Amino acid sequence: MTIDRNIYKPFRAKLTDVIEESPLIKTFVLVPEEEFSFNTGQFIELSVDGIGEAPFTPSSSPVVTEKLEVTVMKTGYVTEFMHNLKPGVFMGIRGPYGRGYPVEKFFGKEVLILGGGCGLAPIRSLLYALENVKDKLEKVILCYGSKTPSDCIYKPLFTRLNKIEKFEAYRTVDKAEEGWNESVGVVTTLLNKVKINLKNSVAVVCGPPIMMKFGTIRLLEMGYKDDEIYLSMEKNMSCGLGKCGHCMMGEFFVCKHGPVFTYKELKETPDIWK
Amino acid sequence: MQYLSITKDEWDKTLERLLLSYTIFATLRNESGIEYELVNPSNITRISYNKPKPVTSLKTFFLPVRENVTSAISPGKRRIIMGIPNCDIAGLKLLDEIYLDKDFKDIYYRERRENSVLISSDCFGVQEHCHCLTYDIKPYSTSNSDLAVIHLGDLIILRIITSRGKEFLSQFSLVKPMKDQSLVSEIEKEHKATEALLLSSNKGLPGYSETGKLLRNAGDEIWRKYSAKCVSCGACATICPTCSCFLLIDKPGFEKVKQLDACQYPGFERVAGGEDALFEIHRRFRNRYMCKYVWKPEKFKPVACTGCGRCIEACLGRINKNELFLELALDRS
Amino acid sequence: MSLNKDDLKKIRFFDNYTEEQLSVIAGLSSIRDFKVKEILFEQYDELSELFVLLEGTLSLGISLATEKRIHLGTIEEGQLFSWSAVFAPYISTAWVMAITPAKVIAIDSKKLNLKIEADCDFGFKTMSKIAQTISHRLSDTRFQLMNQMII
Repeated sequence: MTIDRNIYKPFRAKLTDVIEESPLIKTFVLVPEEEFSFNTGQFIELSVDGIGEAPFTPSSSPVVTEKLEVTVMKTGYVTEFMHNLKPGVFMGIRGPYGRGYPVEKFFGKEVLILGGGCGLAPIRSLLYALENVKDKLEKVILCYGSKTPSDCIYKPLFTRLNKIEKFEAYRTVDKAEEGWNESVGVVTTLLNKVKINLKNSVAVVCGPPIMMKFGTIRLLEMGYKDDEIYLSMEKNMSCGLGKCGHCMMGEFFVCKHGPVFTYKELKETPDIWK
Repeated sequence: MQYLSITKDEWDKTLERLLLSYTIFATLRNESGIEYELVNPSNITRISYNKPKPVTSLKTFFLPVRENVTSAISPGKRRIIMGIPNCDIAGLKLLDEIYLDKDFKDIYYRERRENSVLISSDCFGVQEHCHCLTYDIKPYSTSNSDLAVIHLGDLIILRIITSRGKEFLSQFSLVKPMKDQSLVSEIEKEHKATEALLLSSNKGLPGYSETGKLLRNAGDEIWRKYSAKCVSCGACATICPTCSCFLLIDKPGFEKVKQLDACQYPGFERVAGGEDALFEIHRRFRNRYMCKYVWKPEKFKPVACTGCGRCIEACLGRINKNELFLELALDRS
Repeated sequence: MSLNKDDLKKIRFFDNYTEEQLSVIAGLSSIRDFKVKEILFEQYDELSELFVLLEGTLSLGISLATEKRIHLGTIEEGQLFSWSAVFAPYISTAWVMAITPAKVIAIDSKKLNLKIEADCDFGFKTMSKIAQTISHRLSDTRFQLMNQMII
């Protein structure tokens, strides 16, 4: 008789560092007590002992397995407790779950990444994964938009990306602040300036639902086919196991069939942007 | 199908002996109908055979309302559940596919499943809202339950369905292959009579996939109309043999409690940012039926509605889903 | 500084024009440079040129009686702007200023309009491209508005 792992029981991970990215966003550095690895784009259920659990896509490199980083925005009950945690405590992890980005399908192509708001967290993990295989890629372009310059997390990331061969990074804000002398406007305006070979390219979109909707429409208009656009869908993932029903999106369980979908898979599903 | 038989008296005595090594639940007669009860020597004679259907669905035995899913499993006494209508046996097929999924097996569900002998009971008769046959589910079991039991005259007849059922019966020397094969025709006559009742009481009700097609094209108005009296009590989901959505609640020590939930409750799909795709009642109402008839069939083979009719019986607002389906079927024609 | 059709081929906005059509546009165009903080045009100015941004970043905004410079957004490389130069009354609805050193293609809009009227194929292509630019601008504005409406 095979001994099956208890799918509901988290394993422990020590919180070793907490990085303040912005007033509402922190990155937690965790060292799992068990062997753990994930594919970029997969998610974990991260729990605060006795308080609650929430789904997050790790923002660290999938190649680094001794630790992982999870970027958390304070938006509700559980994340508020998380934001009060100090290094040294243990958190619980279940996962990894779901279908991540199919990086092998990007080989030989140009990758255009459209990101917004907190979507930069999973995108950072994807960028690390792509950097690791950059010899197999033609080009990687990141277009990122945040509400204000203060909301743009991982500030050193953009300078670093523009120094990596084959990588380009552009950013914009909805509303400028004192000292901002870069682009102003929604992230789709950045698409005007990217030089991309549409015949050999894939696009990745990750951010708030409104941004994903407008971004996808613009990419389709540009000429991307619906199976060339990869979307990271966010739903109320709870069990992560395709059982509890909370993340159902039409015929899909986002926790099992996603969170990464191609637009082709989703275009008949109503209300995906709600 | 192989049939074995034993006299009713001997069967009752056998059950009494089985109580030493099994916990037995069976459908018993009470003032309001039949319901599962824990069997003990004094209530064996009240066990009801072949009458549809217990108020509670079989689901309760495998998915309790609340359970700790991080504590160690203590091997319990084996159990027998007897008197299960085929609509519930069919519902269990869907639960098996969800909870015994090869990638993520629920070890608590599996332990209960492996530890239970399922004895179904052929339905000789129908209740007001039974419509299993409309969804191609017969009122008697030929798969997934271990045995089927029929009380005919002074005999208890057992139809062997699985190898576990066969093995279970092999321990009772008094259960023997049925001598009088004409009784098989008696049983089949009862089956046909029940099916005829089901057909006549559900005329015009569209079948399972046909209902899915009708729902896909249904506009907002019909959902608003039928959900007008819904109070989001969740009774329909609680009593349904196939509904199993749940919450995971954290307890200290990284313990988790799994508690049954219902998509009819407000906030079922609410995210931390505040958005709630199913905020309005008619959207939650629609979600239930789209899930059962359109979306689950895309993911799972067994049907997600077995036609037991309990949701119609349990609804506080007296909402009858079959009236909705009949209206859609009529509009289309 | 003048330019030729091969210079235009490198810019996505000029995709799908024939060689001949590109030559016509090149004949109507010149490249202009702007220094930081230089104003390309003010709100309510009469416009005579259609612009495509080649390099740099420009700021676009509106003026109110109480405040001259309300910055709405930036214009990115490759974007068409000053489309009011093609439609009567040819009055600008916004001001545009360079926030980095910028290089633009400036197309004589009066001569362009004559060509649009005379040549249906060229006219349809050109108006479609301008319409798409305006459509994108409207879509981006709605996107921006929705972002402001939701916290």
